[in-house]
Amino acid sequence: MKTRSARPGRTALQRLPAMSRPSTPLLPVGMMEKLLSAAMSRGADFAEVYVEQATSTAVSLEEQKVKSAQTGLTQGIGVRAISGGKVGYAYSDDLEDEALFRAAQTSALIARSGGATQPVKVSRSPSPMFYRVETPLSDVQVSRKVDLVVRANRAAHRFDPRVKQVMATYADQTKRIWVSNTEGRFAEDVQDLCRLAVRVVAEAKNGDRRSGFYGGGGRVSFSYFDTFTPEQVAAEAARQAIATLGAVDAHAGAQTVVLAPGWSGILLHEAVGHGLEADFIRKKTSLFAGKLGQKVASDKVTVIDDGTVANSRGSVNIDDEGNPGQRKILIERGVLTGFMYDSLNAKLMGERPTGSGRRESFRHMPMPRMTNTYLAPGDDDPGEIIRSVKSGLYCAQFGGGQVDISNGNFVFEVSEAYEIVNGKIERPVKGATLIGVGPEALKNVSMVGTDPMPDPGLGTCGKDGQMVPVGVGLPTLRIDNMTVGGTRV
Amino acid sequence: MPTRTKYEQLAKNVIQRARRRGAQQAEVYLELGRQSSCRVRDGEIQDLTEATSKGIGLRVVCDQRLGFAFTSDFDPTSLNRFADRAVDLASAAAPHRLNGLPTSEDLGTPSDVGELYDPRISSLQPDWKIKASLEMERAGKAVDPRIVAFDSVGAGEQVAEVIVASSEGFVGGYAGTYAFMYAAPVASDGTQLQTAEWSDEKRFFDELESAEAIGRKAAERAVRMLGAKKVKSQRAPVILDPTMAASFASTIASAANGDAVFKKSSFFAGKLAKRIAAASLTLVDDGLRRRGLGTSPFDGEGVPTRRTAVIEKGVLGSFLYDCFTARKAKTRATGNAARSYRSLPAIGTNNLYLEPGRRSPEEIIREVKNGFYVTAMLGVGANIVTGEYSRGANGLWIENGELARPVQEVTVAGSMLQMLEDIDAVGSDLTFRGATGAPTIRFRELTIAGE
Repeated sequence: MKTRSARPGRTALQRLPAMSRPSTPLLPVGMMEKLLSAAMSRGADFAEVYVEQATSTAVSLEEQKVKSAQTGLTQGIGVRAISGGKVGYAYSDDLEDEALFRAAQTSALIARSGGATQPVKVSRSPSPMFYRVETPLSDVQVSRKVDLVVRANRAAHRFDPRVKQVMATYADQTKRIWVSNTEGRFAEDVQDLCRLAVRVVAEAKNGDRRSGFYGGGGRVSFSYFDTFTPEQVAAEAARQAIATLGAVDAHAGAQTVVLAPGWSGILLHEAVGHGLEADFIRKKTSLFAGKLGQKVASDKVTVIDDGTVANSRGSVNIDDEGNPGQRKILIERGVLTGFMYDSLNAKLMGERPTGSGRRESFRHMPMPRMTNTYLAPGDDDPGEIIRSVKSGLYCAQFGGGQVDISNGNFVFEVSEAYEIVNGKIERPVKGATLIGVGPEALKNVSMVGTDPMPDPGLGTCGKDGQMVPVGVGLPTLRIDNMTVGGTRV
Repeated sequence: MPTRTKYEQLAKNVIQRARRRGAQQAEVYLELGRQSSCRVRDGEIQDLTEATSKGIGLRVVCDQRLGFAFTSDFDPTSLNRFADRAVDLASAAAPHRLNGLPTSEDLGTPSDVGELYDPRISSLQPDWKIKASLEMERAGKAVDPRIVAFDSVGAGEQVAEVIVASSEGFVGGYAGTYAFMYAAPVASDGTQLQTAEWSDEKRFFDELESAEAIGRKAAERAVRMLGAKKVKSQRAPVILDPTMAASFASTIASAANGDAVFKKSSFFAGKLAKRIAAASLTLVDDGLRRRGLGTSPFDGEGVPTRRTAVIEKGVLGSFLYDCFTARKAKTRATGNAARSYRSLPAIGTNNLYLEPGRRSPEEIIREVKNGFYVTAMLGVGANIVTGEYSRGANGLWIENGELARPVQEVTVAGSMLQMLEDIDAVGSDLTFRGATGAPTIRFRELTIAGE
């Protein structure tokens, strides 16, 4: 399980009223019903038809020039039939009737008990609305998207003459999904998603090179970039690169670490999040299996996965099985209180789905995934947390992370770090990586800041080769006795 | 392939449409495929997936500006709109005098790479993969009662066809087959869970490792990790097993990306033709390797593939280029344009491997009094700009030349240029997993962070 990308800078979260906006499905509802019926023809217990249409745009800039502008259209259908615990799945990007029925009949083969073809009826269920995008991003003029990367490039170079390379990309997607199943559900969603990202390489006179990376976005209208400006993004990327020029090698070994708020939430995502996904729990391959109701973290730790955060990158009005997005408390004051379920694992485990069934595209079966995962704020003043450390490491910016679900080992890379000496932030440090075992690290959380912060909207999580957008968040955090990977012994 | 002509014609139509819309140059990259896979659990099928897929990417150059579009919708009207969109988009990009498709000189003649297509795979009985998966699971469980579950066990096959056509006179295509198996068992001793994986993927069915061997190896690797603990932070010799050495080779190859080097965003910038490692080290990207998983007659923009020594006997021999980057760097493309229909060409590797040495892996381990044998790693942990390397690592601690006890929750770190210099042994056991291969390698000393 890997997560990539960068961190903070957004403000108050606000709930939007629930409502849905019906659209004309890519496939008529009557056709979906016929396909469901065909998928059940061999006696399956359940069938589902997932239809997707996605339009994407990307512009990239490097070496001071807009390198290219791109667009793409992907559409297809995935048909799933379930018989007991067995799943038959077929997908097709060909939407001709013949190909559609072939997919439905192929999925049906998972059930062998015969059975007659029964008609299936579905009716529209309303979806909540956690993100409102005025104009679909696919309808925004490309020239406005180009303008973002051009402005970012200019601002990054203006930040400091030591900035030598700037790579800026803007990418968006407008994805429409329609899900229907043999329980009679028909649900739909429009999922807009965008991000602006800037990578900077700075070079000092002595030849030392450092890079910086920043960006963000979400399920937002294009006007989001009026306040989250490309100038801001570029300046932050450039600042990171310049600030770390001349950094000293990281000390290897156990240290007290303080994590800056925001994208540091990747620690939570890796250290505990994946281990609480129901498929790993059911197969007993996660070290959290069988620990419900037990103390798995310090009292100061409350972990929430929330698919309902307004306009956040990981939010879902409905998940990719048609279930509404939900807010779930996974760990409450250190006690394990719940897992994340898709419908298949929920059914097999006698639980209810939690709006966590997600998939990369119609080419993939859904599985339990995180949405926006964050740590609830605590009582400690962020400044006081830093001042409390005699000797340690302040981790300001992070790269990617990864976890091994079974032994709980996780790592995440610190791209901007500083020594803490007698409560003060001192010299920049390079090459630091944090490593630990999830529950142990959470038991060593000794201070939690009052400053909750979502990441800026860049995270993409990979599981079994499927990539989905996610959000993470963390207040300032002190963890004792954390192993820091570095080159100095 | 009876379908080939039909899709070549479709590609030509799209190119023509783009040219009529105002593109001076246009190139189509088209993919067709069908795939099938399964996973099992506790002696039964968990899931079965079947699919056909297709897609087309169009790259155009209009007044030195680059436009790109892709679609999976092959309806003729949609295709026309799609071609128009690519051309219209080009006007949003900046002109670059080096923009342009590969010229006839770049393209030359596709390389002779022998067979890429195994008729046996394209006509496999659908239940082979169920049988193979069940056998992997059985063999894994038979290794030790402490194998309590599998994170996943599965197998599958794929038939894929690629067609590239351009306004510069190139039309080419090839079809290839793939079959794969993987097992990821979980071992438990009641207090700790440990997982490991083993897999194989080949173009030719007969070359696949047996299901029994894959299940067994995966289980052995998981069981031997039970009881793993941290070690003290220290500097010590580190040995990478072939799978981890291959991962290190990939990282080194990404630093040889001609584009990163040109932008001075690689620690290899300015090091060409310099000695960077011992003479025993040769790192090769070989697009011609017979029956290789990454073998093809031409790359993602039609340029013939070749053998390129990135590091030749310890000397940094060549960087890897696509056409655009080669023009910028005033050199020749190396046939390393990686591609899918959904993306513009980007520099990648074909079959990448470290050439094997003469020494047995046992001998390389035996010479170490106190050191770390790494069998799994976590995290990306390699910074190509600065050369810093720091990754989470699992494996076995070596005491007096013997693999003594399992280790987890530590990192290994170093500077990649220093690490290359510090490779003091290269094994004879070249092992490919997918399109990347390496033998066992040993670093004289790296920093291990633990307690």
